[in-house]
Amino acid sequence: MISYSYLKCKDLAQAYDLLDKEEQVYPLAGGTDLLVGMRGGKFTAKLVVDIKELAELKILEENDQGIVIGAAVTLNEIATFKPILDHALVLAEGAHSVGSYPIRNRATLAGNICNASPAADTAAPLFTLNAIVKITGSKGKRTVPINEFFIGPGKNALHKGELVESVLIPRPYPKGAGTYMKASRTGSVDLATVGVAIQRWDDQVQVAVGAVAATPVRAISVEKAINENGEKDFAKAASLARNDISPITDLRGSREYRYHMAEVLIRRGIEKVMEV
Amino acid sequence: MSEKIAINFTVNGDNESRDVEVGQTLMKFIRDDLHLTGTKSGCEIGECGACTVILDGKPVNSCLVLAVELDGKELVTIEGLTKNGELDRIQKAFIDHAAFQCGYCTPGMIMSARALLERTPEPTDEDINEALSGNLCRCGAYQEIREAVKSASKK
Repeated sequence: MISYSYLKCKDLAQAYDLLDKEEQVYPLAGGTDLLVGMRGGKFTAKLVVDIKELAELKILEENDQGIVIGAAVTLNEIATFKPILDHALVLAEGAHSVGSYPIRNRATLAGNICNASPAADTAAPLFTLNAIVKITGSKGKRTVPINEFFIGPGKNALHKGELVESVLIPRPYPKGAGTYMKASRTGSVDLATVGVAIQRWDDQVQVAVGAVAATPVRAISVEKAINENGEKDFAKAASLARNDISPITDLRGSREYRYHMAEVLIRRGIEKVMEV
Repeated sequence: MSEKIAINFTVNGDNESRDVEVGQTLMKFIRDDLHLTGTKSGCEIGECGACTVILDGKPVNSCLVLAVELDGKELVTIEGLTKNGELDRIQKAFIDHAAFQCGYCTPGMIMSARALLERTPEPTDEDINEALSGNLCRCGAYQEIREAVKSASKK
């Protein structure tokens, strides 16, 4: 058995103080990545601080700013929260595509983005919703736009002594449909080989893709073709995604397969949200 | 010797207090300390569902939960479904439909199905597929399993 200490935090300040002062300390929310990572040797923890019961992290609400998703809110809660279904279906679909039903009863959105996998299923949807990550720590609070949160595989924008408090889906909400499309080897319990989020904003679209670069990325070339140049041939627009992504070959798929699937899923997604 | 923490919890309706080792998973704790070996150890990374239990009313992979996290919680394992020697209707349905071959995945399947019927008494095929999406059956009894869940939902 792996040996480390465990502490159930009484408040957020205790959590970030420990994250700041101690070495090899990890926050535990859902634990679905952390426990697997510790067992597999990816993380070597001396101390695990349990934050999942903190009331301030369990907030899931809609307010003047938008939809607030606390760091301890589970993916199943997100996938069934009415304001998210009404205004950010792309995120509900992304959350719903993670793992399996029991995993989503534990796994959190904050954990999904903090783990910073390029294939994180909630990441691409958050990119297309211009989500804002609210970070708290011993040096105060700050916010980071989601597209600056991912630094590289397994690397995020958090500094030592910081943790994600919540993620905000800001108002105004997008006008129009959104969808998340995922290619994976099996229908469930698999990471995305390619994950594509498409969100319509009135007559414009935002497109983000996961598992095709070191971080999730926006398909800027595709967006520009449609939003600025008025491209109506969505297949042609989708083919421009090649300029925005740099996939690798791994056990889930080859580089060429990922290029192909990104293009296919982007085209299908755009056709769906544009009701072609 | 690793650090131990005292926890209080309910298992299959009984209050219990134990000292658990930090780092021990809930799955190992259920099997090795509570001696409830109906909960199976499979992949230990949350992919097979053999270790599924119901924690505070929700199905979870017990290999992805620490035993210390059980503190203050209500745990139901496969052993908790039988009341006064009478099998739960979902257990009976699995027998009636021969919804297994080797049986290793069965406790996890039944716990996922039990939790589904609690939250959705009359599930659609899609509901059943989703609820069981985290439970692998290597014998391939999926069709019989779906039928068993469906029939239990009608009773």
